Amino acid sequence: MVDPIGAGMIGLAAAIAVGATGIAAALGEQVIGSAAIGVMAEDEGFFGRGLVMTVIPESIVIFGLVVALILLFVTLPSL
Amino acid sequence: MLEPKAMTKIVIAGSKEYMGTAIDAMHTRDAVHIVDFVDESEDFKIGTPYESATKLSERAISLRSVASYLGIKGKEDISNKYPAGAIKETMDDKTESLNFEVTQVTDKISEIDSRIKDINDKKRLLDPLKSFDLPLDLYRDYQSLAVFVGTLKGSPAINDITDDYELETTLYGRGNVIALFVPRQFEGDVLKRLQDQNYSALPLPEMEGIPKDILADLDARLADLESEKAKGKEDLKGLRDEYIDYVLATNEYLSIETQKAEAPLRFATTKNAFVIEGWIPTEDLENVQDDVDRASDGHVVVAVDVSEAADVEKVPVALDNAYLSRPLEVLVKAFSIPKYNEIDPTAFMVFMYPFLFGLMLGDIGYGVIVLAIAVLISRRVKSGGMHDLAIIALYGGIFSIIFGFLFNEFFGVELFGHRGLTEFIYVYPTLPRLDNVLTLLIATFVIGLLMLSLGYVLGFINEYRQHGLKHAVLAKMSWLCLLWGGVLVIALILPPLTTGSAIQLSTGLIAGLVVAVVGFVLLIMGEGVIGIAELPTLLSNVLSYSRLLSIGISSTGIALAVNRLSDALFFSKGGVFVILGVGLLIAGHAINTALGILDCGLQALRLHYVEFFTKFYRGGGVKYKPFGFERKYTEEQ
Repeated sequence: MVDPIGAGMIGLAAAIAVGATGIAAALGEQVIGSAAIGVMAEDEGFFGRGLVMTVIPESIVIFGLVVALILLFVTLPSL
Repeated sequence: MLEPKAMTKIVIAGSKEYMGTAIDAMHTRDAVHIVDFVDESEDFKIGTPYESATKLSERAISLRSVASYLGIKGKEDISNKYPAGAIKETMDDKTESLNFEVTQVTDKISEIDSRIKDINDKKRLLDPLKSFDLPLDLYRDYQSLAVFVGTLKGSPAINDITDDYELETTLYGRGNVIALFVPRQFEGDVLKRLQDQNYSALPLPEMEGIPKDILADLDARLADLESEKAKGKEDLKGLRDEYIDYVLATNEYLSIETQKAEAPLRFATTKNAFVIEGWIPTEDLENVQDDVDRASDGHVVVAVDVSEAADVEKVPVALDNAYLSRPLEVLVKAFSIPKYNEIDPTAFMVFMYPFLFGLMLGDIGYGVIVLAIAVLISRRVKSGGMHDLAIIALYGGIFSIIFGFLFNEFFGVELFGHRGLTEFIYVYPTLPRLDNVLTLLIATFVIGLLMLSLGYVLGFINEYRQHGLKHAVLAKMSWLCLLWGGVLVIALILPPLTTGSAIQLSTGLIAGLVVAVVGFVLLIMGEGVIGIAELPTLLSNVLSYSRLLSIGISSTGIALAVNRLSDALFFSKGGVFVILGVGLLIAGHAINTALGILDCGLQALRLHYVEFFTKFYRGGGVKYKPFGFERKYTEEQ
């Protein structure tokens, strides 16, 4: 029998892991993205590298997602 | 495959008399990468372009203005190639007559446009007055009356100034339009009162008749003009259809001829001779030597330059990949062109990129869609970056389908097995992603480990070639040791740590520690203490590969949500709702496919650029740009 409060807590923890890291990644990408577009105005050839630099902070939310996945698919079933 | 094409440095020299024929021969071969001559001295000057250059560019300008009127962009496909010789003979007359015809039509259209604008201006002025049945001439030229026509916020109250007035008013926009007639002696007071209510006077056009009638008349004229303009546009389209082949071919011809005529600007010349420095793929050397020799009757020499050791940074780089992996070059070039002595990573990407893409998308249904879109685009766009990307997507689609079978996913539902759509062909072990999170997570780390190791090995080879063995060991072997030693240690101490049991000091653990320490020492020797600051990147690089799982599960999750929503909201109710359910399914999966292509594509690229390339690849090579032209619309006889 899964403890409903414990399960709910795990759900909330997963939500925070994804939500908070999502905000953090967005803050990072905002700065990098606008700078990259600024460079692209000067040099269109920067598109490829600019795109890649813009998605670098995506790692943050990916890590958040991994934590959430482990919480939901590994920790929760083992309760 | 892993190396760019071998290049040979050449010097082409000869008498100026034969410069033209040499240029022609080189241009046809499209193989010599000319190094621009810049260091002028007493003896050698930069060449002067042929006199025809000015005339050619003038013609190109007039042709391009015609092309822009006709809406010809210069990338259209045509059915037959033009012979270059025919263009040369007919170009002048034909371009002039075309220019004349086009200008006639465009002049007419611009005249119509100005008349349309004129009418629209009048309409705008008359529009507020359309509900007043007063002819326009009754608004002006009074001796004793002052007339106010204009817009106003409120309604005018001037009873305290005079009772003797005539007022027409109607709602218009956010205020009123008024036509107010007062005896002239009250003009000043009334104006002041009106101005308090934001009065703004309407300038009336010098016309006769009742505004409503004039407006109707203007509308009729406007319709006539519009149809005339449409006819003009039709004419332009006719001209475009008739002349598009000619314009494209001539434009190409002019570009080529201008390029040839201006080529001497890149040569070193003396009073009687010219010298061209350049690079050529070694495989083309003999062909160019033969061609130039034949064309100039032996008066121009193409010689291999052995005078100085070439600076490897300056050698132009022509990537040399097999037919199947060539499309991936576009991704390498988007990052940077490799240097001449650097490994070209394209051959690795042709497997790894679609592999990572497919691993993330991992759905038979989405894979088939990606495959179909890729085939459609690659059929329609025959060359260029778009075509290359379509081919890459095609590879990605194939891998998505393969992984789709492994994950047993078809638009988010299981396809085979007792929980799936069809039970009868359940013949292989599947690995549904949502049930195997931990296994797949470890698998992604293994993929990351392998890719990073390959990166360090390639980096070792690059460093060895560029800076020697010692440097390669210190800079790359150190990280490789740290990576594998670290992994061994973590893999052996993590299970006991999580369960809380004691850590066993096994041979594996000792070996891992030793390897890691060796790597650490090499790192300190190579980069100094500052190297420690970079240690955490190793961990985050490996962890970064967990996106291979998370992105995939997000995409599965969205597909699952779409399926369940459409079932709960619509399909379960039956009847008409089934149509809505199908609509939601299509829309939802279309969005998820688009997201999947974009995100999986970008993340796979990022894993290459950020995690993989940084281990060995610097780039910054000079792009090989042969002197010549890829003819699309013309052909040489």
